[in-house]
Amino acid sequence: MQLGLTGFASLTWPGIMRLKAASSPQPSQEKTAVIMVWLPGGLSHIDCYDPKPNIGSEYRGPFQTISTVVPDLQLTELLPRHARIADKYTVLRSMHHMSGGHPAGSMTMLSGDPDTRDKSKPKYPDWMSVAAYLRSKQGPRDCPLPNYVGVAPPTEYNGPAYIGNAFLPFAVTGDPNLPNFDVPNIGLSSEAEARRLGKRVALRKQLDLLERSFDKERELQALDEFESQAMTLLTNSKTRDAFDLSKEDPATRDRYGRNRWGQQLLLARRLVEAGVEILTSSLHGPLCGRVQNWDDHAVNHHVFDALRFRADAYDQAVTALIEDIYERGLDKRVLVCVTGEFGRTPKISYDRSTGAGNASAPTGTLQPGRDHWPRAFSNIWAGGGIRTGQVIGATDSRAEDVIERACGPGDFLATIYQHLGIDYSKIYISDLNGRPTPIVDNGRAIRELARGGTA
Amino acid sequence: MNRTRQFSGSGRVFDGHWNASMPRFVFSLMAAWTFLATVAAAGETPSQTSSAPLTFATDIAPILTKTGCNGGNCHAKAGSGQNGFRLSLFGFEADEDYEHIVHEARGRRVSPAAPELSLILLKATNTVPHGGGKRLEVGSASYQRIVDWISQGMLPGQPTDPHLVKLEVQPAQAAMKPHGTQQLKVLGHYSDGSQRDVTELSIFEANDKSMAEANASGLVTTFDLPGNLAVMVRYQGCVSVFNAYIPLGAPVDHLPPAKNFIDEQVFTNLKRIGIPPSPLCDDATYLRRVSIDIAGHLPTVEETEAFLADKSPDKRDQLVETLLGSPGYADYFANKWASLLKNRRDAVSDKAANFAFHFWLRDGLLENKPYDQMVRELLGATGDIASNPPVAWYKRVKEPERQLEDIAQLFLGVRMQCAQCHHHPFERWSQRDYYGFSAFFTQIGRTPTATADEDVIFHKRGIAQAIDKKTQKPVKPMALGGEELQISPDDDPRLYLADWMGDPENPYFAKALVNRYWKHFFKRGLIEPEDDIRETNPPSNPELLNALAKFFVESGYDLKALVRAMTQSQTYQLSSTPNQYNGIDQQNFSRFYPRHLQAEVLLDAVDQATGARSNFPDVPSGTLAISLPDNSYNKSSYFLKVFGRPDATSVCECERVQSSSLAQSLHLLNSDEIRQKLTVNTGRAKSLSEGKQDNPAKIRELYLATLSREPREQEMNIALEYLKEPQLDAAGKPLAQPQAARIAFEDLLWALIDTKEFIFNH
Repeated sequence: MQLGLTGFASLTWPGIMRLKAASSPQPSQEKTAVIMVWLPGGLSHIDCYDPKPNIGSEYRGPFQTISTVVPDLQLTELLPRHARIADKYTVLRSMHHMSGGHPAGSMTMLSGDPDTRDKSKPKYPDWMSVAAYLRSKQGPRDCPLPNYVGVAPPTEYNGPAYIGNAFLPFAVTGDPNLPNFDVPNIGLSSEAEARRLGKRVALRKQLDLLERSFDKERELQALDEFESQAMTLLTNSKTRDAFDLSKEDPATRDRYGRNRWGQQLLLARRLVEAGVEILTSSLHGPLCGRVQNWDDHAVNHHVFDALRFRADAYDQAVTALIEDIYERGLDKRVLVCVTGEFGRTPKISYDRSTGAGNASAPTGTLQPGRDHWPRAFSNIWAGGGIRTGQVIGATDSRAEDVIERACGPGDFLATIYQHLGIDYSKIYISDLNGRPTPIVDNGRAIRELARGGTA
Repeated sequence: MNRTRQFSGSGRVFDGHWNASMPRFVFSLMAAWTFLATVAAAGETPSQTSSAPLTFATDIAPILTKTGCNGGNCHAKAGSGQNGFRLSLFGFEADEDYEHIVHEARGRRVSPAAPELSLILLKATNTVPHGGGKRLEVGSASYQRIVDWISQGMLPGQPTDPHLVKLEVQPAQAAMKPHGTQQLKVLGHYSDGSQRDVTELSIFEANDKSMAEANASGLVTTFDLPGNLAVMVRYQGCVSVFNAYIPLGAPVDHLPPAKNFIDEQVFTNLKRIGIPPSPLCDDATYLRRVSIDIAGHLPTVEETEAFLADKSPDKRDQLVETLLGSPGYADYFANKWASLLKNRRDAVSDKAANFAFHFWLRDGLLENKPYDQMVRELLGATGDIASNPPVAWYKRVKEPERQLEDIAQLFLGVRMQCAQCHHHPFERWSQRDYYGFSAFFTQIGRTPTATADEDVIFHKRGIAQAIDKKTQKPVKPMALGGEELQISPDDDPRLYLADWMGDPENPYFAKALVNRYWKHFFKRGLIEPEDDIRETNPPSNPELLNALAKFFVESGYDLKALVRAMTQSQTYQLSSTPNQYNGIDQQNFSRFYPRHLQAEVLLDAVDQATGARSNFPDVPSGTLAISLPDNSYNKSSYFLKVFGRPDATSVCECERVQSSSLAQSLHLLNSDEIRQKLTVNTGRAKSLSEGKQDNPAKIRELYLATLSREPREQEMNIALEYLKEPQLDAAGKPLAQPQAARIAFEDLLWALIDTKEFIFNH
């Protein structure tokens, strides 16, 4: 179905549905999708998902270990709601790589870059741009929403690299919890604006008489299609509704938590339900504490105060998302993963704070912290038809090294690509030098996280 | 017979791990062994085919290439190959491969006693589980040949054996019809004078996949595009080319008179292929086109009126002269080269260096410094950035490997990167060539300065040499295809490189530049990609490319002369409107190929049309986007970023992505930036709405300012009608006249800058 339509009038939802009925590529609401919740800075695995209650206090931290509804799984007391729904997700405790800095760690996790040194710009495209690019090659979609949206996306150390900026996410920034939250380019702010835009487009169509018979390479057609899509985003009430949290049941909004993170993840769920295929959401900002991310060095935060500071909002938002995915029947289609770029040093270190603020003592005060730790860390997975309630892999007694079922960034990416139906071991994308570069180099989909679930 | 070899010791019959399929394997092994034992007992193995002894390098290695075993995604993967079995890429190192196959791991990959039970065959045929699937059919000719080789004792071959010296493709060239086929035959010529048909094991690849495809057995199938096509043929480290031309066969009756050698060559090709060209474009089209391509901006209303009214017969040629003498030319081309030379702002401290480097480029273009001299100044730059700006390139590109790769790709059009780790897959460059080239850059000394990351560059005395990573032996500076140079320790080897590059006999230097500039003006290089010149990627019009290179060298590497020749040619002046035949042509320049305006040019064009200005940090107000010195403005200007301005991280012009996107459309339709430009108080919409001339004159000005032409009657009527319509305010009430007129002109202006005719250079 070609979305290159001639008149502004046919861009209404019924118009699109009529066209959809006429031919049927796989509807976007049936294509698999991924929501990646990103924890920038690195989540402390030993304080959350991989507690070690029996080691010394130089490592352990103050948090009690609690049991969950899954017999073999224990978490810390920071995550009580996680404990209650532990049968709805799987914990992977054996992630491992060697990139210690934020740029390198993020580039390694998100694009599989094996270089452990920090760089100012990513050399390889992140999986989201790759997936958006490959999905866009599958032909026109019937969903007017872009296929790759970021609700507060991670953008600092990742990007489309040589795939090109056309595959950047449609980015929604700001705090969705605010009453005046508005997404630019989604709907117009007033009737008058809509009218004006309509008049302009109609006028432009009358005047746009450039001879089109040269357009064998379809550049003009592509322009038309993008413009149709843009017009739909700007004027179509259905797309506007997808972004409009006031249309959501207030009880659901409460369930996620009436704060930035809760409403971000709720928006994420709405968008995926409406047909977005690749969605990322980074949990950063004031809810993290003074430094606005999870990077709990002692100079930044009192690591334990910071985790306490965030725990409630994090626990509530993430569990709400996971439960919601299952409740609304999205769990077969949508894979959810929650991860940071690495973990945090199990051995607690002490250093002087560089400033007072949330979760941080006044300047000069000695406080505990944890540094970067890529050698072993955890993440959690839900939806995607996977077998939940598992614990994959294990770390040693101090949570310092992986002793069982090591998984690298290549495996992480391969798992996501497999869920999206992308044949990761066979696809190469040429970089700017013309060198065919594999999208996954050294990695296999984690079989415990495959659809249908195997042991 | 050494039957016990397979089960030696540890039971490591597989690749080291005992897994669930072991019992199955053992079973199938027993079954196969029983079968073979029975056959052996029958007295004859089913394997004798040829009588000449088979050797590895000559007979077996090519099979591994054809089946894909030694591709970079499998067993030739960098590092340790795949699952413990390592081969060299495309079999370039046959000796090593022989070792790995026959001797490694106590020879468990081959079974001389029972060749068909060799692990290498069981895996390749997927008789036992193989991650790479089935690469070989049991009983096929290749399979049989490996079996024979094993049963003959796995001869490696002697250094004195006849080796492949050349590949011959038959036919070497042919005329093909659209949707036609041609079966190729490949003959290998050996050093002892013998020949062998190696078609079955050769690898075929068309250089333009939209024109044709070549399948695994050498059958070339064309699609519907007319033009010139090449199919690369590879076998065992040698390459050759099949050249085809696909005539359209239409009658070519009317050709514009050829003005220069470019026209002669292009029209000769068009006659041969049978593609009639479109007629010449009109004056308005030419004015806009050449202003954009040479100087990166639209003509002003006054310039347009003057040009259209001018009656002199050589006004187009004069226009080219004017544009070449304008600062716009220097800005536009400095912008192009700055991004290719990686003038990139990574830190605030880069600002001074970037500006200095950009000025050096721009000044050189303004004064028309010869190209070879500019390259020489860049290559041999010493000192500090303040006194010698081209030194800034060495700040960006620090290692000899990166330096050689950039220089080779940018100025010689040769992509050497592949040869760093292995023999180049499609060309003749070996690792020795790579490191020999890098040796020119090994005597660059650096002393840090007060500015972070900036060094003073000087020539370090010493014998220039690099270590060839493969042989671990030193290699002296070697120009591509040349011999090792003996350079005295007091001489800067970079200057020797500059000498070689500027030598009129250099086969790459001039070609690379003229091809690049050809692509700039004609949208498609004569060699595509423009920085991938190799024997297996021939130009679509070799005579034209050679003529251009010769012209350029003889002019003393005069860039303006080159631009003049291209833009004054009739070929450049052809209309973009296809006739009934040449719509399908994408390669032969029978018409002008329209292209999207580049980000900077588009931004400046929008500003010029609307009468607005963009303000950029660190430069005076009113600076044009094409004059910006480095990539940092992609951060501050969303417009530049979203329309694809490159980030100066690559020497490939492909970093600038010229295709459309949703974000671009949204920006043009609904951004504050566009809105602001349309409504600015000093802008054209306002001045037109308040102007004293009548509506037709105002509409005429709109068209001259945006599309650089007079409005057609139909367009004039539509616009006049629109001006008569009532305009409503936010509340829905009709607006009074001055406001209504202003809104109407803003709408008209917006409509015009959003037409394809504006956004495209046609």
